Amino acid sequence: MHKYFLAGCMSVLSLTHLAIAVAETDDEIADAAPKAAFMVPLAERSLLTDVVAIPTAGFAAVGERGHILLSADGRQWQQAQVPVQALLTSVYFVDADYGWAVGHDATILHTQDGGKSWQIQQFLPQLDKPLMDVYFFDRQRGMAIGAYGMYYTTQDGGDSWHKAFYLALASEEDQEFLAELAETDPESYLLERESVLPHFNRLMVQGDEILMVGEAGFVAVSQDGGENWQRLENFYNGSLFDVHRTKQGSLLVAGLRGNVFRSTDDGESWQDISLPQSATLNSIFEDEQGQLFLTGNAGTLLLSSDDGQTFRDLSQTDGRAILNGLPLAGQLVLVTETGVRLTSISKSE
Amino acid sequence: MSINWLVNKFEYSLFRHRLAVLVLFALATLFLLWRATDIKLDAAFSKNIPLKHEYMQTYLKHEQDFGGANNILIAMCDASGDIFNANFFDNFRRAHDDVVYTPGVERVLVKSLFSPSTRFIEVVEDGFAGGPVIPADFTADAEGLARVKENAEKAGIVGRMVADDYSCAMITASLLEIDPETNLPLNTIAFAGKLENDIRGKYQSEQISVHIIGFAKMVGDVAEGAKGVVAFFGIAIVITTIMVFLFSRSVMLTVLPIACSLIAVVWQMGLLTVLGFGIDPMSILVPFLVFAIGVSHGVQMINSTGKRVAAGMNAKAAAQASFRKLLVPGGVALLSDTVGFLTLLIIEIGVIRELAITASLGVAVIILTNLILLPVLMSFVRFSKSYQQRVSEPSPATEKVWYALSAFATRRYAAVILVCTAALFAYGYWQSQQLKIGDLHAGAPALHEDSRYNQDTFLITDRFAISVDYINVMVESIPSACTSHDIMDRIDQFQWLMENVPGVQSAVSLSSVSKVINAAYNEGNPKWRVLPRNTQSLVQASSRVETSTGLLNADCSVMPVMIFLEDHKAETIERVVRAAKLHGTELGDAETRFMLATGPAGVMAATNEAVSAAQQPMMWYVYLAVIVLCLLSFRSVKATAAVIIPLYVVSVLATALMTKLQIGLTVSTLPVIALGVGIGVDYGIYILSTMSQQLRDGMPLRQAYFEALKERGSAVLFTGITLAIGVSTWVFSALKFQVDMGILLTFMFIVNMLGAIVVLPALAAFFWRKNN
Repeated sequence: MHKYFLAGCMSVLSLTHLAIAVAETDDEIADAAPKAAFMVPLAERSLLTDVVAIPTAGFAAVGERGHILLSADGRQWQQAQVPVQALLTSVYFVDADYGWAVGHDATILHTQDGGKSWQIQQFLPQLDKPLMDVYFFDRQRGMAIGAYGMYYTTQDGGDSWHKAFYLALASEEDQEFLAELAETDPESYLLERESVLPHFNRLMVQGDEILMVGEAGFVAVSQDGGENWQRLENFYNGSLFDVHRTKQGSLLVAGLRGNVFRSTDDGESWQDISLPQSATLNSIFEDEQGQLFLTGNAGTLLLSSDDGQTFRDLSQTDGRAILNGLPLAGQLVLVTETGVRLTSISKSE
Repeated sequence: MSINWLVNKFEYSLFRHRLAVLVLFALATLFLLWRATDIKLDAAFSKNIPLKHEYMQTYLKHEQDFGGANNILIAMCDASGDIFNANFFDNFRRAHDDVVYTPGVERVLVKSLFSPSTRFIEVVEDGFAGGPVIPADFTADAEGLARVKENAEKAGIVGRMVADDYSCAMITASLLEIDPETNLPLNTIAFAGKLENDIRGKYQSEQISVHIIGFAKMVGDVAEGAKGVVAFFGIAIVITTIMVFLFSRSVMLTVLPIACSLIAVVWQMGLLTVLGFGIDPMSILVPFLVFAIGVSHGVQMINSTGKRVAAGMNAKAAAQASFRKLLVPGGVALLSDTVGFLTLLIIEIGVIRELAITASLGVAVIILTNLILLPVLMSFVRFSKSYQQRVSEPSPATEKVWYALSAFATRRYAAVILVCTAALFAYGYWQSQQLKIGDLHAGAPALHEDSRYNQDTFLITDRFAISVDYINVMVESIPSACTSHDIMDRIDQFQWLMENVPGVQSAVSLSSVSKVINAAYNEGNPKWRVLPRNTQSLVQASSRVETSTGLLNADCSVMPVMIFLEDHKAETIERVVRAAKLHGTELGDAETRFMLATGPAGVMAATNEAVSAAQQPMMWYVYLAVIVLCLLSFRSVKATAAVIIPLYVVSVLATALMTKLQIGLTVSTLPVIALGVGIGVDYGIYILSTMSQQLRDGMPLRQAYFEALKERGSAVLFTGITLAIGVSTWVFSALKFQVDMGILLTFMFIVNMLGAIVVLPALAAFFWRKNN
């Protein structure tokens, strides 16, 4: 930890810019060498955290112990060789070949062959912080966010990742406090900066608009691909784990203990949606017909056919946490704490 | 010859002082009968495990902290399918208290819904909340029961202490090796009786059913079934008596060998008590075996005496001559048996050693009762004229049969027999290579599948998410090892690799539980289900786990990885053990060692390995003993080979039969092979001992064999069939291992007899070429 802060100190460029990039030096000494994930039969029955469609080429899921699984049809899954054992939290493919996965130990992995092989772009076990989401605009420009306000960007496909800090993402009081500290005590400022930001949990990107949610009701918006950020006014104090802009243009956020909020005015005002249950919600996704799905702990699966105004309970009786999912030809591919599964959606109202 | 001189000398003094001999025997019998009435069924858990095995060393080392494998599980089920009613909870609480106060139970390790250590923790927005699953102010009304149900779910004990479908609740307890009240080893059988009477007897009702499993209960049920052995013993005595009468056609000649054999059993039991042993339910069959062997030798004696009486000798001269003729072959045969059984001592498992002592003692006693007492007794018998007539009438039919059989000793038939034998041997050898070690079936292997005990086992494994077949790998490391990310992570990797071994149902360790707790500290988000690298966070997660979970000791220098198996088949256990050794070596180092093993399946692994390792040496020693004794008595390599080869073929065929019938090599079946060799050698020795002198004198082989058959053939045939009928009734036993032993012994008796009558002369035809 300490070592990291020193490295950060020496590479500060300017305090006046809103965004401060801190170069991570490659020779940063890791206190634990990465160890390749075990290739084992139960990988597809293990805790999985994210599943995505690889454009034109099937599906990818990631999870604990460095597990990455690939599937052509969403039914048969095959484990890929991965050079780390960290719990992976998110995966994103920009096209059929190029993809990135992130997770604990601030790990960033990269593939150029559709997920068959993965290389380490970043592995920082000494930070003891997880990255939570990753997004790429194209093969070159991408971003990764995570706990304790971790925010990395790249302009070269991840060959070099740069740490970013946006003062606007801190709360108003913290912004004032930090601005003052930056002038009086630059060293404390850098330390303090590490602790003022909340956990960043999830991104939603559409064009140049980026939505980001996190700890303690944190919601922020950027309209210029992450150059400038605006933190929305607090409307809830618990953690938010996903954000989604529906096909009809509404905003939906979901989080701790079954809290769901909906906004039809781009986040100006939020409406508390009451749910039939109170387990923590992990993800929101939408199918072609605009049906919205919420997944959560304790087998929670909810469906809305009215743009998120009301939800119907389709919860799974096995009580296993469902972390994410995606629609597939009238069925759902769900990633759960006991692996990936294909579930039919009952049509009955 | 010195042996002959000795025998003569012995014979002379014995028959000179017949009365004194009888008085001595009578006194000894009275004394030992008195002692024998004190004999006790005696079973202890530690006798059933190979204590010297490295796994068991680990087991004993950690028994204090983590409890042993000697546990009992008591499931109480409500007939309505739902335990949440006042009546059930009232009964269950009382049953829990009764278990706690049963002597022999480790009180602090009794766990159920009602134990104070059964607590729940839940994540709320501002941290954790928790408490006992059954709150202090619990009342069994609708509200109180609903709260308990909710708490049980939060505590994560559904599947362990409460059935998956809420139809049953469980009490688990660990047993002490020493009863604290008496300071004596815990009387397992009495303890099992207590469970049956005080728990099942008291709480079983129309509404509530009680299901009890665990080693102690199993032994209790085996002991219960062993009482049935007495009935089998009775049946065997009746059958044998009838057979002996048909054979001897004389009441006196029937009563005497039977009585002498029973005296041998009395002496054996009396001597056991004198030596301070009890009889283990597992060796309950040995007295019967002793009786059978006694009868077999007794029949040779009455056969010989009867023939001589028919030839016109008086009873005393006939008995004396028989004694002289049979002391050496009989003594050698019985000594072979004794030595054969003694070889079982090399197996370091208490029950097998006791079996070795019990059996060898019994067989050694037969030398006295049936080779000495019996002829002395017979010398007093007055044979009626009618008896002499009946026996002395030559029976042309029998002679014809014997003559036909003696063709086996001709080269032409011999060649065919030997080719067939070789083929059988080849097939048997191939089959015997596939012999499985250990228990091949679900449930307790000593008992039948439909026994109460196994039914209870199936019910519990069905309704609860627990398996009674688990193996603990003990991770031994430095004090406070649970604060080291590196060590905890290696335990986690080990657990994951083990979970991926086929046959493993699931696994749990301090690492896996700490990961879930760490997620709980992070708002229950599964994406935080990791071991924090930061020491404070790691301690925060792991310190939530109490030592009562059995996942760590007080200073967390020992952390077991509990691996639950799908079954306890030997191949499953072997695969898991192999994987555990492999991964344990990869992930362990001098500081952190992955040590096998405790838990019921760990004990089975050690037992299987001990049994498997003992099989070859045991066979070598048995054969070595038999070969040496044969060489000594025949002074001929050819004769020894003629006896041993058929014996070995039968041993191999018996092993093949075990493969065919899916009988695994276990603590109870392993001794059967040694017993079979010891008993089987008798036939060959009796047949060949009459032949060898005549062959040396140059008598043609077929003639010599014909004479041997006339002299002893009927006794050999008779013995084989009688013994076989006696043990074959065991297939009706309530004990599965007795059934298995019965099948194997029946096979051994019959086929060894055939070996001696068919294969032995065929071999002789090639060994004694000059005598054609």
